[in-house]
Amino acid sequence: MSIEVRVPTILRKHTGGQRAVHGEGKTVREVLDDLERSFPGVRGAVLTESGDLHRFINMYVNDEDVRFLGSLETPLTDGDIVSILPAVAGG
Amino acid sequence: MHEFRIPVSVARAIVEHAQAEYPKECCGLLAGPDGEPRERFALTNVDPDPVMRYNADPKELKRATDEIFDRDWDIASIYHSHTHTPAFPSQTDVERAFYPEAVYVLVSLADRQRPDLRAFTILDGRIEELPVVHVDEKAS
Repeated sequence: MSIEVRVPTILRKHTGGQRAVHGEGKTVREVLDDLERSFPGVRGAVLTESGDLHRFINMYVNDEDVRFLGSLETPLTDGDIVSILPAVAGG
Repeated sequence: MHEFRIPVSVARAIVEHAQAEYPKECCGLLAGPDGEPRERFALTNVDPDPVMRYNADPKELKRATDEIFDRDWDIASIYHSHTHTPAFPSQTDVERAFYPEAVYVLVSLADRQRPDLRAFTILDGRIEELPVVHVDEKAS
């Protein structure tokens, strides 16, 4: 199952400048693992070393924040769009 | 980029947003065609320490960026207020500057009667100030 993943500017250095890429997988984590094979560096920018979603990265399945779904284990179905948006944050 | 051109009405709206949220920090996006700061998207600061930090509500952020994407616009700026310190990026601002394409607009209300609005790029930890040019839409 191919899932469209929308990539923010800061991660496009890993995707050859592409705004959206496609990954295979049945969950958000599987798609990230698949993307890492095609675009090394993407997963490390999104996940912590222990494999959790980075505190200042938001991921969405369609319009929903994955933190309110099943986090990285959120199941995906055909046609879902995954978006990665860094936090708009500071002090 | 050598200067940051902002419509007078947008700059005024940012200052009003900052005053309305005081003493909490306000935050939001500016976006427009070709990344010009034509329109303001106010976001809710949901950081647990909103007087010292900001973190835009993720759901509102998604909605705003979808709207920007659908209009074929780009993010021009991320703005926020400092309510007790000057309009200069803090260490936290530099650490959390995740949008390299954005001009970071800061408004300081350290002197509430004299809001100070300034613009910066923050790239790879380097801060560069841009002169702010207030563009009067009615005159142009």
